[in-house]
Amino acid sequence: LTATLLSRHAECAFWLARYLERAESMARILEAQASFQRGRPGDDGWAWIIALYSDWENFNKKYTEASAANVIAYYVTWLDNPGSIQATIRAARENARALRPLISTDMWAQINDFYSRILALGESDFSENRLSRSCDMIKRGCYAEIGVAENTLYRDESWPFFRLGLFIERADQTSRLLDVQFAQRATRGTQDKTSEQQASLWNALLRSASAYHSYRRAHLSGFNPNDVARFLIFDTRLPRSIAFCTGEIQRMVGKLRSEFRLRNAQRAYEHVERLQADLRARGENEKLLDELHGFNDWVQRELIALTSELGRSFFGHQPEPKDEAPEIPLPPRPGMAASGQTQSQTQG
Amino acid sequence: MATVTVLRNPGTTATLDEYDAGPFFCELIGDRQNPNPDLTRLWHRLQQMELADLAARSSDAERELFMLGITFTVYSERNAIDRILPFDVIPRVITARDWAILDAGIKQRVKALNLFIWDVYHDRKIFKDGVVPADLVFQNSNFRPEMVDYDPPAGTYVHISGTDIIRDEHGRFFVLEDNSRTPSGVSYVVENRHLIQRAFPDLMEGFAVEPVSDYGYRLANKLTEVAPPVLTDAQIVLLSPGVFNSAYFEHIFLAREMGVPLVEGRDLFVEKDRVFMKTVAGPTPVHVIYRRLNDDFLDPECFNKDSMLGVPGLMRAVRKGNVTLANAVGTGVADDKAVYAYVPRIIRYYLGEDPILPNVETHICREPQALAYTLDNLDKLVVKPVGESGGYGICVGPKATRNELDECAERLKKDPSNYIAQPMISLSVCPTLVGDAVEPRHVDLRPFAVTGKETWVLPGGLTRVALPKGSIVVNSSQGGGTKDTWVLRGDSR
Repeated sequence: LTATLLSRHAECAFWLARYLERAESMARILEAQASFQRGRPGDDGWAWIIALYSDWENFNKKYTEASAANVIAYYVTWLDNPGSIQATIRAARENARALRPLISTDMWAQINDFYSRILALGESDFSENRLSRSCDMIKRGCYAEIGVAENTLYRDESWPFFRLGLFIERADQTSRLLDVQFAQRATRGTQDKTSEQQASLWNALLRSASAYHSYRRAHLSGFNPNDVARFLIFDTRLPRSIAFCTGEIQRMVGKLRSEFRLRNAQRAYEHVERLQADLRARGENEKLLDELHGFNDWVQRELIALTSELGRSFFGHQPEPKDEAPEIPLPPRPGMAASGQTQSQTQG
Repeated sequence: MATVTVLRNPGTTATLDEYDAGPFFCELIGDRQNPNPDLTRLWHRLQQMELADLAARSSDAERELFMLGITFTVYSERNAIDRILPFDVIPRVITARDWAILDAGIKQRVKALNLFIWDVYHDRKIFKDGVVPADLVFQNSNFRPEMVDYDPPAGTYVHISGTDIIRDEHGRFFVLEDNSRTPSGVSYVVENRHLIQRAFPDLMEGFAVEPVSDYGYRLANKLTEVAPPVLTDAQIVLLSPGVFNSAYFEHIFLAREMGVPLVEGRDLFVEKDRVFMKTVAGPTPVHVIYRRLNDDFLDPECFNKDSMLGVPGLMRAVRKGNVTLANAVGTGVADDKAVYAYVPRIIRYYLGEDPILPNVETHICREPQALAYTLDNLDKLVVKPVGESGGYGICVGPKATRNELDECAERLKKDPSNYIAQPMISLSVCPTLVGDAVEPRHVDLRPFAVTGKETWVLPGGLTRVALPKGSIVVNSSQGGGTKDTWVLRGDSR
């Protein structure tokens, strides 16, 4: 059997999953922030989300104040923010449209339906009372599409590429979340003196990764910053941990190499093996928490390098490193994919 | 036995109570002198449905089309707007006897046109014998010198064709137009059927209707018949201009139904006169290209040099016999308005048979007798310039002013070769759900024929319906919709 998956389609499958995961993370973060903020005076806490995505420059083009309403509008409905949920789902749908000959009718119908619901969202859907419900709808929409893929996508080469997009994006999101929360802790530490306040910060961090209850089961006593960080990085049972994601990435590249015997998969596989070994080695470092920013920077650079490697090996990109979404008609690509990541966390 | 009135709530309107087809041939009534029992049965079944229910299910069906993405897409600066082609729930039915005529007539026509195109690019006998004027073809922009002396597998140039057919007030069929380049619409034929089966199973129950859902499978088989000789299975691809094309849904549909990759020009390249596609495993050879891209854009080396949609070197690969294009390049010489007028003679010339499906009576004004007749009867005729499309320069005699008729006569005398004239034809009608009522609306029919070594005609075809009252324009850009088209089996019951 000869492979007939077009390079272009492989790339679309990769980005379809990335955009879905990105929108889901955004909804998750907004919701966690909103519940963290409840019962606290003022809403100064929203600025960290802008830092999370290195978006200050673009944000300031439209808004002067990082109020809850502004940050939410910027990340949900503002189409000129390529990372907004609406723009991200639209990009996902355009990739799905290009992939339409390969995906199931159910997958296409689901994202069509989802997109029309996203488009219908207005300001009132993000009022204090309804934000949680709207974020939940968005998360469920993403879950549903990923779930339909799981249930219906033909397991040819497009499947590993879809999964690679999913887990590369997720690892990136978790790493960013960690980085910003720990940077916040450094600055906030002076304000939130009590251990109760500290605890609520860990609580919010874990909840935004849907990891709170899992953490409670794994660590019966209190919140230890070191434990929280290590849980989110290394626990291979936690579906949003970095190690879980890199494990899936390795499995998928392995599939391309062994099951589909793609000639270029060997190089990508060696890349991932190296990444896994490095990750383990860094886990041995007892001072990891003190060097967390450097660690996250490394994770994100590695993910960018891996994406470039996939581009060269499978998507037909030119040899010079390049990390871009495929050319899809609408909208402009999220800056996060290209410039955002390379800017790293310098603004955070 | 329940009667119609018992099945209805008192006070509600039955579907066909106020239906009046007027002077036109009605597809659901058929031959009034000799009623077809299946048509009568369907009439009564529709009659038993409540209008409100029919309307509600109809809007559900249209919503479903949208969610399934059975749409054409209109792009604006910021948005991709997906629209569905309006779908009418009342099917158009073709009896077994009528279909036998259509099937044979279309096969005959396709056969003659393929022989004609072969002649155009080889011996040119039909011109030497004075049956068709040479300048009609060789000065036509659709004539492609690159195709001279090229021998397509099985002699087939037109692999996929769509023949536009209408019916007059007596129910006689006429060919209005041949589409021998890249005819579209077949996806709606299949999707409309699926929709009816899902949303109106009660309407279809008990009727033996010819299936349409194997179109993709049949098409792939036919294309395999004309593949260049290869050691393994021939690799077929569907070449699309991309997501911006308004027919992109259909390209997706066809690729999926055939099980072949949907490629764009940028996914292909030519090396040593062979075509390859770029896959995750590296270059993979391609043998047959069902292209939904016009000749002009196919190969910037030969045609439009600025084309970004095509594949440089493609025509070299074609001429070497390494890849088959469906349809072949240069088939536009056979579906031109001027050539259309000669098709009955083309059929007689190559096949020695009378045409089974007549053309709409056409007066070729380059012929003195026809010119004289046209000038004498301008107020009864539709005069069309042959080189134009999109309805430009057409003079509709019965609706024109004296002044317009005089101007038309002047143009005719100046350049008679540029015009044909046809009588006004009244298209047949079909009951159609319009708002809260069922009214007659004009329809046409585009059956699709697929030719490899032999021709197969998909039973049925695309029925387009002109939704505005009295309109005879069925084009989707002008408010046209579609209907499911049933071809009844002879052994129906």
